[in-house]
Amino acid sequence: MKTVRIFYEKRGRLKFVSHLDMTRFMSRLLAKSKIPVWYTEGFNQHIYMNFALPLSLGFEGLYEILEIRLTDDGYDLNKCLEALKGVAPPDIDFISVDEPVTAMKDIGFATFRLDFDEIDQGLAKSLTDFFESDSVICQKAGKKGKIKEFDIIPKICSYEINGNRLILVVVAGNEDNLNPTLIMNAFFEKTGISPPFYTVSRVAIMDKQGNLFR
Amino acid sequence: MDTKKFEALLLSVQKPGRYSGGEIGSVIKDKQEVDVRFAFCFPDTYEIGMSHLGMKILYSQFNSRDDIWCERVFAPWQDFEEVMRRENIPLFALESRDPIKEFDFIGFTLQYEMSYTNVLNMLDLAGLPVRSADRQSLSPLVVAGGPCACNPEPIADFIDLFFLGEGEEVDLELIDLYKKFKAEGKSKKEFLIEAAKIEGVYVPSLYELSYNDDGTVAQITSNNAPATVKKRIIKDLNSAFYPEQLVVPYIEIVHDRVVQEVFRGCIRGCRFCQAGFIYRPVREKSSDTVNRQAKALCENTGYDEISLSSLSTSDYREIEPLLGKLLEWTQDSHISIALPSLRIDNFSDELLEKIKHIRKSGLTFAPEAGTQRLRDVINKNLTEDEILTACKTAFAGGYTAVKLYFMLGLPTETDEDLKGIADLGQKIVNLYYDMPNRPKGKSVSVSISVSTFVPKPFTPFQFEPQIDEQEIRRRQEYLKSCITTKKISLSYHDSATSFLEGVLARGDRRLGAVLEAAFKRGCKFDSWNECFCLEKWLDAFKECEISPEFYANRLRSFDEINPWDHLDYGVTKKFLVCENRLAHEAKTTPNCREKCSGCGAACYGEGVCFENR
Repeated sequence: MKTVRIFYEKRGRLKFVSHLDMTRFMSRLLAKSKIPVWYTEGFNQHIYMNFALPLSLGFEGLYEILEIRLTDDGYDLNKCLEALKGVAPPDIDFISVDEPVTAMKDIGFATFRLDFDEIDQGLAKSLTDFFESDSVICQKAGKKGKIKEFDIIPKICSYEINGNRLILVVVAGNEDNLNPTLIMNAFFEKTGISPPFYTVSRVAIMDKQGNLFR
Repeated sequence: MDTKKFEALLLSVQKPGRYSGGEIGSVIKDKQEVDVRFAFCFPDTYEIGMSHLGMKILYSQFNSRDDIWCERVFAPWQDFEEVMRRENIPLFALESRDPIKEFDFIGFTLQYEMSYTNVLNMLDLAGLPVRSADRQSLSPLVVAGGPCACNPEPIADFIDLFFLGEGEEVDLELIDLYKKFKAEGKSKKEFLIEAAKIEGVYVPSLYELSYNDDGTVAQITSNNAPATVKKRIIKDLNSAFYPEQLVVPYIEIVHDRVVQEVFRGCIRGCRFCQAGFIYRPVREKSSDTVNRQAKALCENTGYDEISLSSLSTSDYREIEPLLGKLLEWTQDSHISIALPSLRIDNFSDELLEKIKHIRKSGLTFAPEAGTQRLRDVINKNLTEDEILTACKTAFAGGYTAVKLYFMLGLPTETDEDLKGIADLGQKIVNLYYDMPNRPKGKSVSVSISVSTFVPKPFTPFQFEPQIDEQEIRRRQEYLKSCITTKKISLSYHDSATSFLEGVLARGDRRLGAVLEAAFKRGCKFDSWNECFCLEKWLDAFKECEISPEFYANRLRSFDEINPWDHLDYGVTKKFLVCENRLAHEAKTTPNCREKCSGCGAACYGEGVCFENR
């Protein structure tokens, strides 16, 4: 048995597929691909799948990672990639299949790209002021419905405004995670600016050292 | 439509996957390259419509032709409808996102009466007049089929033509005729008159209903059309079209698996069951065909579950060879098969050993009535012994939950019959605790689900009155009082919904005005409890000066002309009358394989009627 990671892009109409639906979709795709995938051996047997990070509904993912296990250690990874490409619908692109480099628990950060119709000077200034502020307290409902208060500023590692694009590097992973929607909602609430239309893409996932997660 | 704006709007509603399209298996064509665009509309949500087998078959079949592009349309849920109306987005097809108003055909499948208001609402959302008479041009033609087309009168004012029976052949014949008439620049009226000549096509505007003083139908007259319209069937299911690919939804739908049809029709003849009569005669696929089709579908979709679909899969003659063939490849591919509950005790040891590994689905029985007397009245040939024996086998095999389906308000039903429902549940509970080899440390649960009987056209009970709402509630309360253990859970249907379903099922064309009035009052998704509002409907009846009780709660005489008497489903009225009489004598009728009862379906020259000849 061998663990491998599938790297792919999720775009277009697939943006509307939630994480839970993605797991069903991927298991059907893997079944169709005829790759020798390993099934769990419990009461309810299913294909072993481990997504690096879930992706919010409506987000594009340009660096998505799914971990599976192969029953055949010698199975050619290029063949694996070709098999996946053969069954992929439009809006999902399989980029590569590789052996894992970093452990899943070492995921530390994610990079998001937010595309606006226009970031004019006023908006750019407000964004800069917002990200440069000492603290922004946000509320978030926990799993048990308990409202939790926390400061988002320390969780934002960097921001960059580039034309009509805002690039954010934020904490990500099991221990700590920050959704850019939460940041932007806090921004619009704090500044009173009415939210313009923008799209969100997750472009990279990094480990705790800031290297590209592989 | 601007994709970016559209997608932004999608993110503002629940389950945007209902409207996004782009699923695997969905068909995209170049609209310049096709002659006919067909919008296949299911008048309910995506999750329900996508589970419907008929739509899957016709979608694939239409798209197998280069000159037709068939796309899917579902009723938008209220949140998205609000967005559509606010942003002036007309009802669109999922594949192209083009407004369906531009299409050649808008086809609805009518699976249940409570979806009628959604049909009107969808036409309105499309930007079309809801009434057929107000749509002058040849296209879009609004057509409809499905089981409710067997009495289409309540919705006849809104639909240009109906398909009676199975659609695979007649739909294409009609599309070909349309292509010809469109090319020749003919009018809608000319087309409809010609279309009515195709067997299985009912054009309501060519028929007129007149009424007696007491409100019953006096006469049904045809004008430029045949006096009766006969339903169509597919004679040989082994050679009939069946899809090799399905549209596989991203979001979870109600039946999220490969649905493999094994036969059409039912040999049983349960007297309340419309499907048991209108889909006659029984026609089976061979086990080889079923196996081949199921395998292709699993390979092309990636689904890990197959359900064998028919009205009564236990009656499939080749069930054992079929399971043998399926198990040869499904086990290694981690594919599970959903099996009918009852047949299990008849299987050979070898097969039992094999299906042991199949993932267990629930144990479900539909005795429909609580006493043997009433089961004889409805011709449900299922005995208490059979149920208890099957439960015993299942309990020994580790099952601890049983589901039972019943109906309340059946003709001749008494309180004793209702008590019988509770008693049967109790017997199953007792059976479990009397078994020394029951699963250790586990409790048993018996779920009893009780729906309300609604008399339907083309059944022996089409003459029967439906019990009124007050009586339904009294009987529900009585049944509740009969259940004394917490091991039994009881659920029942809303009485108001059943009442309206009863009105629409046996209604005539005068109900069109009521339907429109209800739609204008905002009625839609009537089959959803959170949307259904009886008050609005009652207001609509009042506005049109029509009594709903006339349709639901009245006993009809055998010689009364029914609003569906000009439609011929093979089964004769004489047979239905005879069956009704037997019901009142609590006499059963043997199933089609035991003895032919001469229902009339043999006129199709195919199927079970000729198995032993």
